[in-house]
Amino acid sequence: MSSSLTLVQRKPGYSKPLRSLTYAFLTAVALAWMVPILGAFYSSLRPYAETQRKGIFSMPDSLSFKNYGDAFKQGGMGGWHGTFANTAFIVFPSIALILLFSSFMAFAVSRFTWRFNITLLLIFTAGNLLPAQVIFKPLFSFYEHVPWPNFLSDTNTGHLLGTKIAVIIIHVAFQTGFCTFVLSNYMKTIPKELNEAALVDGASVPRQFFQIILPLCRPALAALATLEFTWLYNDFFWAVVLLNQGSERPITSSIANLGGQYFSNDNLIAAGSMIIAMPTLAVYLMLQKQFISGLTLGASKG
Amino acid sequence: MATVTFDNASRIYQSGQRPAVDSLNLTIDDGEFLVLVGPSGCGKSTTLRMLAGLEPIDGGNVFIGDIDVTMLPPRERDIAMVFQSYALYPHMTVAENIGFHLKIKKLPKDEITQRVKEAAALLDLQDYLNRKPAKLSGGQRQRVAMGRAIVRQPKVFLMDEPLSNLDAKLRVQTRTQIAALQRRLGVTTLYVTHDQVEAMTMGDRVAVLKDGILQQCASPRELFINPVNIFVAGFIGSPAMNLLQAHVTEGGATIGSMTVPLTPDQRGSLTSEAVTIGLRPEGLSVGAHGALGGLDATVETVEELGSDAFLYCTVPGVEGVEGFVVARAEGLSGTRASDRISLIPDHGVVHLFDTATGLRLTSPK
Repeated sequence: MSSSLTLVQRKPGYSKPLRSLTYAFLTAVALAWMVPILGAFYSSLRPYAETQRKGIFSMPDSLSFKNYGDAFKQGGMGGWHGTFANTAFIVFPSIALILLFSSFMAFAVSRFTWRFNITLLLIFTAGNLLPAQVIFKPLFSFYEHVPWPNFLSDTNTGHLLGTKIAVIIIHVAFQTGFCTFVLSNYMKTIPKELNEAALVDGASVPRQFFQIILPLCRPALAALATLEFTWLYNDFFWAVVLLNQGSERPITSSIANLGGQYFSNDNLIAAGSMIIAMPTLAVYLMLQKQFISGLTLGASKG
Repeated sequence: MATVTFDNASRIYQSGQRPAVDSLNLTIDDGEFLVLVGPSGCGKSTTLRMLAGLEPIDGGNVFIGDIDVTMLPPRERDIAMVFQSYALYPHMTVAENIGFHLKIKKLPKDEITQRVKEAAALLDLQDYLNRKPAKLSGGQRQRVAMGRAIVRQPKVFLMDEPLSNLDAKLRVQTRTQIAALQRRLGVTTLYVTHDQVEAMTMGDRVAVLKDGILQQCASPRELFINPVNIFVAGFIGSPAMNLLQAHVTEGGATIGSMTVPLTPDQRGSLTSEAVTIGLRPEGLSVGAHGALGGLDATVETVEELGSDAFLYCTVPGVEGVEGFVVARAEGLSGTRASDRISLIPDHGVVHLFDTATGLRLTSPK
């Protein structure tokens, strides 16, 4: 067997310069790509006065993490009512609900034959294409008219507008469509015989869902959770539009808090940005595999 | 243990189209191993799925024992099924796969473990109970699928081509094992296959299906000796029976240099002048060219298997299977291509069919 394998040798005269050229190009692009984040990191370590005096691209006199502490405090990030806590309160329930609802939907659409299957899936997917800017005004008025007991929020306005629940609802509504689409495509790759075998084994529909299909969707769920985490974490639009009290706003609004009306401490903002980018970077680095498969999931099967 | 009865059972996928299964009447005896066989699309899998409850029944009834299960969901039918793809739950271990039904039935844990162990012992799976299906070979997966069925001690086993994903050698081994296991457990079994060798070797009785219509249900021996029509004759047996078009003459049915006498009864039941003569390859002897009562032929190709040799012959004016008349000869007999020979049918193995209706012309025993 192995004797039939031959080593394919590249012609050295042809490929070597070409390959070094490729590497040089790729390295240059990678470095160029890194400039903003490395630049921000560098400035975040320097005091404002120094960069004002010497310019951004200059050798440092002193480096410290002082800006980080200041940004954390001034941005109101810490504590139970800080922006980090607010974000956690919005993002985690949202992801849980999105994945729960979309897996229900996907299960129904992909495992049962029903005449409105395609229509339903289309509606769900089409909802995704609506720009948020178009629906925010009607949604704003709508939320204003939905009464909401004060003991379920700390806004004391008596209606849904301005509560974190309002943001969770719109996130769930928007993202469920996308996740349903992805999950239903994934579920379609699970052989129908598994359901039939479960049916013959005596499993009810909920049992088929929770004990057979859902465990098999774990890779897809992990990928979607990672993807959704970065998206919801980065959301600024809905947070600013729907949450009119600063104390309710999530982490993305902290940056806005750091900028003054007449004067901005760019180094402080850079430090704030670094802090805020940390969780998404961490999630991305830890779950890179799921992240990438999440982007291609449903595009082709398997 | 129970009998299974199909009473005029039909399945129509789309109204206005030919039923996938058309008014099937079939009874499987208690403890019997019945094989459903037929070409793809003949409705054999649909029949099985109707019994399983995975396919609705559009007409007639299906009984398991005395219970009319026509409208019952699968889990209330007390059946166990082995799928062609095995359909093992990939995220569960072998033990969990086998015990899934028992767990759903909420049996005590000790009893589940006990019964899973017994089933595993029967199938030689004890060492693999903690593995996931992905870590098993094809044959082991097949046995897990069997285990999942056995552990339930159901009234009926349903098997949908359970061997078709195995390689040829393993298939022959497993074939014998399944048949032996079924006999030992004595559970009524409906087994679907497209492979007529499987059907003949495993079944107590074999039901041949074509286009959703039951052609014949009989013991393998009976099917081979007395096929009721041209389809069954051509389907059962390997290589297939030679079906040759003859015409009626004063002496009987004549084809080439050969005439097969017809009894008055056979003549009477003919609907036209056309008769099909069926000759099994193993029912033909090779004689010298021009032998009396033989069919003069020229050998075109010899398939030498050692123990046997199959001669593919052409006969002037006769079209056989793909233009050839096939005969089995002694292995290593020395017959060569382009030899001119005579094919002499052995006594009593000539099958006669009415070409127009396809039905067998019954000959006196």
